[in-house]
Amino acid sequence: MKSGLNRREFLRTSAAIGTGLYVSGKALGADAPNKDVINVALLGAGTQGQVLMDALISAKEPGIRFVAVCDIWKDFNLRKVSRRLKQWESLGYRSTAYTDYKEMLDTEKDLDAVIIATPDFWHAEHSIACMEKGLHVYCEKEMSNTIEGARRMVQTQRKTGKLLQIGHQRRSNPRYIHCYDKLIKEAKLLGRITTINGQWNRSKESCMDIILSEKTPAIEQAVLNQYGFKDMKQFLNWRWYKELGGGPIVDLGSHQIDIYSWFLGANPKSVIAGGGTDYWKGHEWYDNVMAIYEYDTSEGPVRAFYQTGTTNSANGYYECFMGDEGTLVISEASSRGSIYREGWVEEAKWDPWAVKGYIDKSKGKLVAEKKDDAVLDVRESIPAAEYKISVTMTDPYHTPHLKNFFNAIRGTEKLNCPAEVGYETAVTVLKVNEAVQKANRLELKPEEFKV
Amino acid sequence: MKHLKVLVLLMAMTAVIGGCSKSQPANPGSDETAAPAAAETSQPAAQVEEAPASADAQTGDLKPLALVLPRPMFVGTPENLAGIENLEKPLGKPRPPFMAPEGTVNLALNKPVTSSESEPITGDLTMVVDGDKEATDGSVIELGPFKQWVQVDLGAKSDIYAVVVWHYHKTPRVYFDVVVQTSDDPDFVTDVKTVFNNDIDNSLGLGIGQDRHYVETAEGRLMDAKGVQGRYVRLYSQANNQNDYSHYIEVEVYGKPVQ
Repeated sequence: MKSGLNRREFLRTSAAIGTGLYVSGKALGADAPNKDVINVALLGAGTQGQVLMDALISAKEPGIRFVAVCDIWKDFNLRKVSRRLKQWESLGYRSTAYTDYKEMLDTEKDLDAVIIATPDFWHAEHSIACMEKGLHVYCEKEMSNTIEGARRMVQTQRKTGKLLQIGHQRRSNPRYIHCYDKLIKEAKLLGRITTINGQWNRSKESCMDIILSEKTPAIEQAVLNQYGFKDMKQFLNWRWYKELGGGPIVDLGSHQIDIYSWFLGANPKSVIAGGGTDYWKGHEWYDNVMAIYEYDTSEGPVRAFYQTGTTNSANGYYECFMGDEGTLVISEASSRGSIYREGWVEEAKWDPWAVKGYIDKSKGKLVAEKKDDAVLDVRESIPAAEYKISVTMTDPYHTPHLKNFFNAIRGTEKLNCPAEVGYETAVTVLKVNEAVQKANRLELKPEEFKV
Repeated sequence: MKHLKVLVLLMAMTAVIGGCSKSQPANPGSDETAAPAAAETSQPAAQVEEAPASADAQTGDLKPLALVLPRPMFVGTPENLAGIENLEKPLGKPRPPFMAPEGTVNLALNKPVTSSESEPITGDLTMVVDGDKEATDGSVIELGPFKQWVQVDLGAKSDIYAVVVWHYHKTPRVYFDVVVQTSDDPDFVTDVKTVFNNDIDNSLGLGIGQDRHYVETAEGRLMDAKGVQGRYVRLYSQANNQNDYSHYIEVEVYGKPVQ
């Protein structure tokens, strides 16, 4: 094999560790707290649920065991994930399958946590029910499709005292943590951040409706209706529908706008936005959105632009933080991560951080390439010098965030995206759709971010 | 080993990149030369021969292979491709035409398929050769973790010029230990010839491969079989960069029955 992870070795090791922990857990006695073994259920076994389960299996975390799965697509996703879990019985996994989440919560008495990856409009009901059953919850973003739903999730988390992690996985990505902790806060390489821009553009081919193969059994119409879907097309493409999801600004933008607020240490004070259903037929949510936020930070005002489009993939996805001394361009895609020193800033000022290993001078481009047809123009600034971010990540993108969740259950870490943070981001992002709809600048008061 | 009757050559094509002339690579999916040889070679369990080189074969009337490609579809959260060893750079443009003798057809279509797992996690084995190459969930079969294989019975000994495989192309993904072999022996004990092998550390015990890891796309992976002969084609794999499972959307085997 081939990647950083030798899966066969891992499986042998994990199988041994899993068995050992199971025995040691039993030895503690039924009433003893046993955080070595954490029993997990997956609620929502679609594509994203499978991504999270795969990331967790890859995480090699001893003692984390899937013991149940629930999905309304009985004859396809539920069957698939249940059969996958059966492959890992040697790790202590169980493959019990449910179509009714209430039945699962009533039946599975030894559950500790639930991973929720259902469509956004189910997040509040599912999360609240799980926490009220005494279970810790990892809930995919968007926290809810409504601010009211997200608010109730925060309230339930406080009432029950259970952990609620929202799936903004960049919050646990070591590359992002390095940029914030080391490059921005400690080394202050950007100087004063004044402007942000970011985007997630996808090609037309990536945004076509998902269609059901003739060979794939559909969900019964009565079941679809029972769970709030008009038909299979809406079930498969729920992100495009109002009342069910939030469109690309929520599906894609939420991950990145969350980083804006994290790195600035502030919530926005206003948003203006434009967008529309300009290209795709039959989609309810805007297929392109451009938004501008205003932030007041401890260092001064910041304006932040964000765009998402579904017809052209130009320049992919990234976030760009611009300060008066440097620029950070980062993306979840590990291949993109550079920090640029403004031309007027002395190289010697950044050298100690290169020596310390915070930035990689050797892989950057310290001297801008000369253009043959360029002439010295006093109106142009001196080109910035490029350094690479020195931290890489080879795990699946969701693995560190899941690890953080389980480490929080074990009491060794604090959640990186607890309910309150998820709520602030939900407000920030859901307000964009409102701003588009109203065609107005929306003032965002500090109390709107509080529960 | 029987000598080849037909020469299969990639279309002679010169690309001008960055002011330098660059000849067509041996591997049609890569713009880089083959990976360096691994340090040690373990003895494979079965009798295995490498497929003969194109240069050993004879010239015939060549036509571009007419491949029907599925709809490209990269959706969902992107997957992390960082840290994968021996990964070739994407070609960055459509694959050039593959030249094969006139009369070459897909011999695998609707032929019998067997597998290391009689019942896949999803789908059934007939889907591997049903002509459906779409990325949607209903078009792919999933096999469990560890070493897995699917095998197509072409029905008769055939000259094989190319094998095209679509493991999965819903997201950019890299499959590990991809080995493709042909044989006249359905058990692949004797007369085994290797068409493709990127098992860089001999995880499967079939020998260390010299081919590179590659990113799956809607184009599928075209493997030059150089006119090797055989009745059966077996495709191995073991996990991918995202999860521990093996997937097959479609396998096509281009050739002609031996006259």
